[in-house]
Amino acid sequence: MNALEVRHLGYRYPDRSEALRDVSFAVAEGERVGLIGPNGAGKSTLLLHLNGLLPETPAAEPAVSVLGTPVAEPHLPAIRAQVGLLFQDPDDQLFCPTVWEDVAFGPQQLGLRGAELSGRVERALAQVGLAGFEERLPHHLSRGEKRRACLAGLLACEARLLALDEPTSDLDPRGRRELKALLGTLPVTQVIATHDLELVVEICPRVIVLDRGAVVAQGRTVEVLNDEPLMLAHGLERPHVLRHRHPH
Amino acid sequence: MHDGWLNPYRHRASLIHRLPAAVKLVAAAAGVLAAVLLPPGAWGACAGLAGGLLVAALLSAVPLRDLGRRLLLVEPFAIGVALLALFQPDGLRIFLALLAKSTLCLGCVILLNATTRLTDLLLALRRLRLPALLVTTVGLMHRYLFVLTAELVRLRRARRSRTLARGRRAAWRGAATVAAQLFIRSSERAERVYAAMCARGWPP
Amino acid sequence: MHIPDGFLDAKTAALGAGLAVVGVGIALRSVRRAGSARRVPLIGLAAAFVFAAQMLNFPVAGGTSGHLIGAVLVAVLLGPSAAVLTLTTVLIVQCFMFADGGLTALGANIFNMAIVASGVGYATYALVRRAAGPSLRARLLATAFAAWVSTVVAAVACAGELALAGTVAWRIALPAMAGVHMLIGAGEAVITTLVVAGIARVRPELLEAAADAGGPLRAREAAAYGLLVAVGLVCFVAPFASGWPDGLERVAASLGFAHRTAAPVVSAPLPDYALPGLGRAAVSTIVAGTVGTLLAFGLAYVLARALTPARAAGRHPNPGGAPGA
Repeated sequence: MNALEVRHLGYRYPDRSEALRDVSFAVAEGERVGLIGPNGAGKSTLLLHLNGLLPETPAAEPAVSVLGTPVAEPHLPAIRAQVGLLFQDPDDQLFCPTVWEDVAFGPQQLGLRGAELSGRVERALAQVGLAGFEERLPHHLSRGEKRRACLAGLLACEARLLALDEPTSDLDPRGRRELKALLGTLPVTQVIATHDLELVVEICPRVIVLDRGAVVAQGRTVEVLNDEPLMLAHGLERPHVLRHRHPH
Repeated sequence: MHDGWLNPYRHRASLIHRLPAAVKLVAAAAGVLAAVLLPPGAWGACAGLAGGLLVAALLSAVPLRDLGRRLLLVEPFAIGVALLALFQPDGLRIFLALLAKSTLCLGCVILLNATTRLTDLLLALRRLRLPALLVTTVGLMHRYLFVLTAELVRLRRARRSRTLARGRRAAWRGAATVAAQLFIRSSERAERVYAAMCARGWPP
Repeated sequence: MHIPDGFLDAKTAALGAGLAVVGVGIALRSVRRAGSARRVPLIGLAAAFVFAAQMLNFPVAGGTSGHLIGAVLVAVLLGPSAAVLTLTTVLIVQCFMFADGGLTALGANIFNMAIVASGVGYATYALVRRAAGPSLRARLLATAFAAWVSTVVAAVACAGELALAGTVAWRIALPAMAGVHMLIGAGEAVITTLVVAGIARVRPELLEAAADAGGPLRAREAAAYGLLVAVGLVCFVAPFASGWPDGLERVAASLGFAHRTAAPVVSAPLPDYALPGLGRAAVSTIVAGTVGTLLAFGLAYVLARALTPARAAGRHPNPGGAPGA
């Protein structure tokens, strides 16, 4: 069973313009897949379909299924526990007054209380390297720490699939290194929408290229990203890290 | 972070800080109530309350100068309204009583918020039956206060860099535009926060 | 207009608290209805917005500047109940975190600045809009006038509370509070309208979203707030409005000058006319109030005209949705 299956997904914005056209792909459990494309390609819109935040009105036949379950009512509460969506702006996602409360938010919605709840929170914070940050106020954290705190909130729900929207954007080099190392070691299925092509090369064996709402290429990362004409045609480029690699 | 003024809490490892928020809230409320209910001439009782407040302030290890400065910051409003009280029979006595009472009450509240985190206070208020929706909105307001004031500073700076005209009219238009932009951004952010809350299973 | 601790006696503070509980209860009930989960983050963010926006300077003269209050702005953009809750949230944070507004006076402050300001403000806005039509200009006119009215009425309630508590004499409290807030209200009207016009330029659908959603329910809400505000004003203001405690009148009568007009607060154009049950000072106050209100309405009209681009003035707002859909 695949962790994620998307079959012929289409979506139009409220003003009727097309956002996604016939998008199809699958992600196996434990895989890390990069989702790349120019601005406005529909990457974020696609991610919002993975936990049912879109479409606003349910389609007759859900195009997305996670671990075999269609992403539609009445499965949405369970889906939202299993699919951890990391939003682009950590300030949108860290909406609780303290880090502890924010990481605890998800498990609390799932009904956990007391020692079980604190255990989950502590483990999640330790996993992302933020042990001891429980009482900190979100606006006192660096951007990298905020991102990691958001990740902890998703891990505390024991998400099986992480959908990450530009996880390394706006991070300083150290923050980026720490996050990349973290993502590389998490044994969870990941779909990473990003402009950071170096990140994709380093931790995603497979990549999907999206442009104007349609999948224009998918396959092994090194092969796709080395295809310079393809990259340039879709607002991307061949990353430096591949340029300077020896051909073998 | 230049937001110290937005956050009155001063962390110290003192006896007062360690007390549960509910206890401090009730104590502050009791202090305020006692001061309010004092009849105008009861100077002895006033002094007693002031003494108790001073002891608590010393125990809290928060610098008295810090507390005093915040007191001076909010006093003017009280003084302004109190001046109106002078225009009536026995006005001076009422004026002085008002000043004494309001200073005592301000002292209690300032000590409370210097020694108690708002989040702990909110939990205490929730236990005291404040409606859950209000607790959530107060928590959200507190969380996004810092985000929005930072955004305000950026918007104002950008606007000022592009304001070439001088005078009040340009200033008013500029400030109003900043407010409009801030509202639009805030309501868009509210949509995203709503999505983030739903993504983690809210409402239960 | 935040009343500090110690300025209200026990009975006035308790009355204020009671009114606040009822008003906030109405708002909570209305927001808790179905589809309202979305409004919770909006209210929280709006509260943070109000606080931040109050820091903007609108220079007046010398070093002084005006600031936004925000009750009518939020009421126009989010509806009356959301506005009540937003302002209540702001007042709670200001009271507990910044000692701005007393703990015992919190109820009265919520009544004045969250319930009266939002309720009266929204009601005025809705009434003027219904009379003036759906155009942008009408909306701006309604906003400006509503902002002024709400500021003044909230100030009157505040004056009533101070007088009822025996802190400030009514004949000082009313002219001081209402008079000053007529000026502050003018500033609030201009600022609020400028901001609404700014939003209308960029995101007109945000204005649409608040307008006329949920017709009959809104009318019931408005009626509930209206009733509550009326009850509050009766409790706070009525004891002083009749049997006008005018010291000079009494002195004049006792010294045999009853047939001459006593010095009124504002020289009344109709010195020989007295409404039954009210003294001459009351008449002149009413006249002053009426003149002030008409002036405010006139200025609001001028402002709305000035802010509306000519082509948008009479245009009906586009119903949301695709053209031709």
